[in-house]
Amino acid sequence: MILSDLLGSEVRDAQGQKVGLVADARFALNGPVRGSGSVAGARMIGLVVGRHGASRRMGYERRDVNRPWPLAQILGRRDRGSFLVLWPDIESVRPGQVVLRNGFTRHDASL
Amino acid sequence: MKRLLGVALGILTAIGGFVDIGDLVTNSVVGARFGMGLAWVVVIGIIGICAFAHMSGRVAAVSGRATFEIIRERLGARAAGANLLASFFINLMTVTAEVGGIALTLQLASSITYLAWIPVAAFFVWLVVWRVKFKILENVTGLLGLCLVAFAVALFQLGPNWLDLAGQALNPTVPGNESPWTYWYYAVALFGAAMTPYEVFFFSSGAIEEKWGPKDVAQSRINVLVGFPLGGLLSLAIAACAAVVLMPQGITVSSLSQVVLPVAEAGGKIGLIVVLVGILAATFGAALETTLSSGYTLAQYFGWTWGKRHRPAEAARFHVSMIATLLVGIAILATGVDPVMVTELSVVFSAVALPLTYVPILVVANDPQYMGDAVNGRFLNGLGTIYLVIILAAAIAAIPLMVITGAGA
Amino acid sequence: MNENGKAPAGKVLDAILHLLDRQIKDTEGLVVSVVDDLEISLPDDGRTLDADAEAPMLTNLLMGPTLATRLFGGQPPPERMMRIPWSDVARVGTVLELRNRAEGLPVRWVEHWLRDHVIARIPGGRHDPE
Repeated sequence: MILSDLLGSEVRDAQGQKVGLVADARFALNGPVRGSGSVAGARMIGLVVGRHGASRRMGYERRDVNRPWPLAQILGRRDRGSFLVLWPDIESVRPGQVVLRNGFTRHDASL
Repeated sequence: MKRLLGVALGILTAIGGFVDIGDLVTNSVVGARFGMGLAWVVVIGIIGICAFAHMSGRVAAVSGRATFEIIRERLGARAAGANLLASFFINLMTVTAEVGGIALTLQLASSITYLAWIPVAAFFVWLVVWRVKFKILENVTGLLGLCLVAFAVALFQLGPNWLDLAGQALNPTVPGNESPWTYWYYAVALFGAAMTPYEVFFFSSGAIEEKWGPKDVAQSRINVLVGFPLGGLLSLAIAACAAVVLMPQGITVSSLSQVVLPVAEAGGKIGLIVVLVGILAATFGAALETTLSSGYTLAQYFGWTWGKRHRPAEAARFHVSMIATLLVGIAILATGVDPVMVTELSVVFSAVALPLTYVPILVVANDPQYMGDAVNGRFLNGLGTIYLVIILAAAIAAIPLMVITGAGA
Repeated sequence: MNENGKAPAGKVLDAILHLLDRQIKDTEGLVVSVVDDLEISLPDDGRTLDADAEAPMLTNLLMGPTLATRLFGGQPPPERMMRIPWSDVARVGTVLELRNRAEGLPVRWVEHWLRDHVIARIPGGRHDPE
């Protein structure tokens, strides 16, 4: 699957209610190393779901970048309310729509 | 001793390289119509370009990343793509204006028509970009550009009323025959001429080309803090010459010959020759910088191999895009459009484009992922934020003012 | 974090934050391209996933003509996108470093075409700038 088909997709819960948009996809480098000198395989651990979808906030998203103060306030505000959904909580995926399982957990999305 | 010479060379090159055709024309136009009443804009512009040129050089040196690579990463492909289209278009306008400026200067110096000089000028710009080493290109054009001091010399020779000039600068008023809208239009134009967006692209890419280390960053700080303000004084001298000679006679500036008229009056034939050498060097240098900037911005966005440090065979797309840019510039000028008018428009559009380049630089200069510990200090951030407001104000006001005043008519 | 509330093993990367639109350099520092998109090993047909299905892996870096589609919408066809497998990546920093040289990669074809048909025809194209 092409990742840009996934980013920005609608995220719904098991009852069909819209929960947000896919803001980002999170990977961890703990997969098998496939060649000499290669970095470890990147395994998807979950999706970051937010209200605004997959756009850039110039680096102010979820990190310790908080200067200059005025820009950080204006641009960082867009991230409030985003959360991380782990892979086991995802029920189905197709371009434009992700459905979560019943009783999914909202984890903290900050890095 | 050698170090001292190196430092001096850096400063002198910065002074001589500060002025381009945009500064020349805009300062002269403004001086003839408003006297020194817009001198404060030049001062604000100089402080701004000092802060941002140095910031972009530091960001490039510390992070090893050039401006448009950073813009693409921070803004994402779509916003950065729109940024690229706008920046490239305005850069193209500036390249056209600079090449036109070279041709105009050569026309003044010889008696051969300007149209014939256009392809010659563009060819030599290309040739230097193709073959000449970065450092040599900078040093030669920068040092020869010092001949522009002829404007300052001419000003002294003209024996103006200094108190009067100072009064105009410190107590700006709009002359009776001008409207306040036009005053502010030219304020924006002067600001755009001083804070040229291509400077950021060129400076940061140059820092990577020359593999700047901490010593180079320190040298650059001296060049910028000493060289740019002195170069700015040249801008003010150009305006003052126009204020002293052209304004009393009601002569408005619409051609290069009017820009140099005060120097010819005060310094005679020798003065004229010196100033033409200076203008030729400054415009040629700026044409090189803007042409390279077009290559840098495209290559850094698309991920092509870029840089003069590579053989052209190793950076084919980079070089082909610059050749194409120059060809388009020639085509535009060949339509017979007035290059002075292109220059005047290019500085106003530069003011519109300023936020596109400066906001990402200010943001990345604060990002530990790129800068490690060398993020901006409080002072630079404070200055940067104030200028952000000024830049946004100028960018928003530019087009409406242009429409209201009919581009300063 | 994973199901136990602990941080996962290995470096954590977000696609937009750390991977997309990053430069790709080869082992000698030459810029190869920019990451235009990514491919993961997940079928996109919307099937219901098993409760214990394996998490998808990042399979390829994708490069292609995305400027027009990003500005105006749509997607370039997958056949036009060039791929570099994730296993060719040696290091992830502000730039992605590959473990091999750029010369063998298909992404270089425009560069090589221009080099052979335009640059080589102009005198001095193969010389170092003096």
